[in-house]
Amino acid sequence: MGNKQTIFTTQQLDAYQDCTFFTRKEIIRLFHRYRDLAPQLIPLDYTNKPDVKVPYELIGSMPELKENPFRQRIAEVFSEDGEGNMTLDDFLDMFSVLSEMAPRDLKAYYAFKIYDFNNDDYICVSDLEKTLNKLTRNELSEDESRLVCEKVIDEADLDNDGRLSLEDFQHMIIRAPDFLSTFHIRI
Amino acid sequence: MATRGSGNFMRLVSDDSNASTLTEDFGNHQEELPSTLPGEQEQLPSTLPGEQEQLPSALPGEQEQLPSTLPGEQEQLPSALSGEQEQLPSTLPGEQEQLPSTLPGEQEQLPSALPGCHRGLEEELYFSRKWDPNLPLKNLPLSMQEKRKTREQRQQSRHIIDCCESWRRSQQHMRKRLREQVARVIWGLQPWSKTMHKIEGKFGVGVKSYFTFLRYLIYLNLLHCLFIGGLALAPALLFRDKNKPSGLTANESRGALDLLLGTGFVEHSPVFYGFYTPVSIPHGGLCLNTPLLFLAGMAAVLMLSAVMELRRTVIGYKHTWLLGNRYNLHMCYKVFCGWDFCIQDPNSARLKHRLIRNDIRLELQEESFHQRVSQRTFRQRLQLYFLRGILNFLVLTLLAGSFSLIYFATHISNKEKEGWILPLLYEYLPSISITVVNVLLPHLFRRIAAFEDYSLTWQVNITLVRSIFLKLATLGMFLLFLHQKDLTFVKTNQPPEPPAKLNSSKNCWENEFGKEMYKLVVFDFLAGGLNAVLLEYPRKLLVEKYPSCSLVKAIGKQSFLIPFHVLDLVYSQTVTWVGLFYSPLLVHISVIKLLLVFYIKKFVLFHCCVPAQRSFRGSQSSVLFHFTLLLGLLIAVVTLSFNVTMRTSSQDCGPFVNYSSIFNMTSSCVGTLPSPVQRTIHYFTSEAFALPLILAEIVVLTSFVSQGRANRKAIERLKEMLIMCSADKRYLVKKHSAWLRTLKSSVSAGTCEDARPTALKDPSGFQPLLLRSVSTP
Repeated sequence: MGNKQTIFTTQQLDAYQDCTFFTRKEIIRLFHRYRDLAPQLIPLDYTNKPDVKVPYELIGSMPELKENPFRQRIAEVFSEDGEGNMTLDDFLDMFSVLSEMAPRDLKAYYAFKIYDFNNDDYICVSDLEKTLNKLTRNELSEDESRLVCEKVIDEADLDNDGRLSLEDFQHMIIRAPDFLSTFHIRI
Repeated sequence: MATRGSGNFMRLVSDDSNASTLTEDFGNHQEELPSTLPGEQEQLPSTLPGEQEQLPSALPGEQEQLPSTLPGEQEQLPSALSGEQEQLPSTLPGEQEQLPSTLPGEQEQLPSALPGCHRGLEEELYFSRKWDPNLPLKNLPLSMQEKRKTREQRQQSRHIIDCCESWRRSQQHMRKRLREQVARVIWGLQPWSKTMHKIEGKFGVGVKSYFTFLRYLIYLNLLHCLFIGGLALAPALLFRDKNKPSGLTANESRGALDLLLGTGFVEHSPVFYGFYTPVSIPHGGLCLNTPLLFLAGMAAVLMLSAVMELRRTVIGYKHTWLLGNRYNLHMCYKVFCGWDFCIQDPNSARLKHRLIRNDIRLELQEESFHQRVSQRTFRQRLQLYFLRGILNFLVLTLLAGSFSLIYFATHISNKEKEGWILPLLYEYLPSISITVVNVLLPHLFRRIAAFEDYSLTWQVNITLVRSIFLKLATLGMFLLFLHQKDLTFVKTNQPPEPPAKLNSSKNCWENEFGKEMYKLVVFDFLAGGLNAVLLEYPRKLLVEKYPSCSLVKAIGKQSFLIPFHVLDLVYSQTVTWVGLFYSPLLVHISVIKLLLVFYIKKFVLFHCCVPAQRSFRGSQSSVLFHFTLLLGLLIAVVTLSFNVTMRTSSQDCGPFVNYSSIFNMTSSCVGTLPSPVQRTIHYFTSEAFALPLILAEIVVLTSFVSQGRANRKAIERLKEMLIMCSADKRYLVKKHSAWLRTLKSSVSAGTCEDARPTALKDPSGFQPLLLRSVSTP
């Protein structure tokens, strides 16, 4: 609609606008951020839908993700191949979910997947331990770590199977007052 | 590797059934299992929303309220978001009334649950699944390609609907987008949002909540300014009698001292009550006169504040207490909501790691503390209670001491005319004593609470409660002493000043009262400013220049003590409310003061403070702060009503000069209204209305309380049901996998070939398969 950009076709931009929480300008800006990660790899013309992926190392070195202890899990959850190498679609999707406009239940769903390290659709004790280690940079002792995991399962596990399912997690996170403000990345 | 964004979770291997790969398909239908089991359907609560009608009748009301507005900033989120949040948290966002048995295409395909077929099945199942068409695409938990496919599907299906419907839908769509954009723009326009973001990054959410509270108070006061300016100030300025002498004589003005003391030119300005004279507005009839507008303005301001504060307190209460005590989820929140994804600076990241670690250690300490408490012997408990009794007695003596200090200060303070410093000191004596008491005692309370052997959060809470009581009680006592002082003054028959001096201090007690409140506000601000300049900044310089000195190390840089700062704000707002009626421009002064306080505190924070080692549970305390603000408002209203009803307005100054009391004025105004209106007003103020109203309120309250109790019982029952359901699920998975194992072994053994087709190609669907799985061993 008056934009002289040649990166996407109008239909592609419309589709992105419908599928993410970003406006046209923001999508173009995000595309340039994506391209800046690997300019020689990513073409300027996306009209014929090239199939390019940016490797995880470059994604993980973005300033928004560099200090995040969960950056690897985030990249894995949102990437198509599950290894952290992201296409433009994955990139836009990731920042759309992590933006301020995404609703709580959508974020809760993806947060669950991020914290589920072994991808078995349950957050079990080992997942919790890994989460804790990432959060505290391994500085909690074994005993403390074990106590914390037990306490978390105790508090949040509703169906009493010793691990957190998606329902348990959502039920717990719905009440968290800080969840929306912490689980968001500004880009 | 599991496919990304799969709505049906693939449970690859569960520990019960590690031999079977076919549990993938079973896992795909895990949600459908309970509701299709014969005989169990009526009892199962069903995890899928849309089946709420089967639940106990007390429930739906509670569920709609659950994810609604949260205390603090959440209410101000774009309307589109809050609309989303009011939906029930469904297991899969976007999947609403798709009951399992109605999912298209699934039943016939289940029979192809053979090894090797499951990947095709899963994808077919996946794309045949229809998401709720009303939910926007962006909210679906799918990958981008899947969203695009869904979009194409929706667009195709849109061609099937007639053009009217599609036009309506597209209009809805555009309106939603427009609303979102406008909300985003307005939200971004809020002042200081960048500063707050920086503060949140460097010092945490708790400190940011203090600044949010400050901004909220500024908005509140600005709103008050509008009302007062429109209803009290403008009529007084526009319609006043220009011929009346202003009462100002040359030798009375003392320049800057006047500004501080509220005398001289300030006394005769609109700042104080005495400026406002009763003037009837031309063409307005008997009812439209400045006193009535003045009263209306004050009443509007107080009611508006009451409504806003009540709303905030109640919303916060709903969330933190009703849900917080039963669902004690603190450790979960620390683990899952602990990390702020916005952090980009390595130093902040290191700080955050340390904060999280300390927080978790704190929680664990509290756990062990609770265990220790339960193991206390009788003798230890007795000793502890004795110690606590002594310390509470100490607290009471401190409070009594501060009250007597304020009493002496109030009675000693008199008006000196000579000199410069001495009058200032004498006049400000009550304010100085109140401020000293309010600054010193909370710190003392903090040290005392450390000896009482409470858990850490309890210590903070007890100190908070004591400080709140201190601040409000000192103000209340001060008002009481002022009133006593005025009474004794009246009783000692002093000859009145010659009436030529209009608005002179001796005859206008309202002005005196207004002046005291004015002095309190001014001194509060001066104390804050001086504290920043004379204490905080030198402390920081000292710590930076002599880091090795042990004394300096002991003092250290301070951290921003949020509760005490918030209580200061609450106190200043209460003083503003109390003094509003007698010093109408006090709100304008307090707006300017709050603006300056914002910048002063920002300076102190960024240059003189270190981030706290412990994070502050902002959400729980925000309820406490709003409740304290409400208490302050209550004190203001009580004082005002006492003054209005018990004390006669003075005959020389103010808008109510011609009436012996304010009610005379309102009744004379009511007398001019037509008689049906008069009769209704009389009815509303009589007992015949009040009694049925009280009875109706009691009935409504009782019904709400009983509904709340019924809801609580229902929640407990549902929790138990949930545990039973998942136990059932696990049992059935075991059974199913056992059955499948025997099936596989029989298939591979080459026997019973016919059993497979007849069993699995049964078109009636899922049910028979399960019956069989339960019955065969």
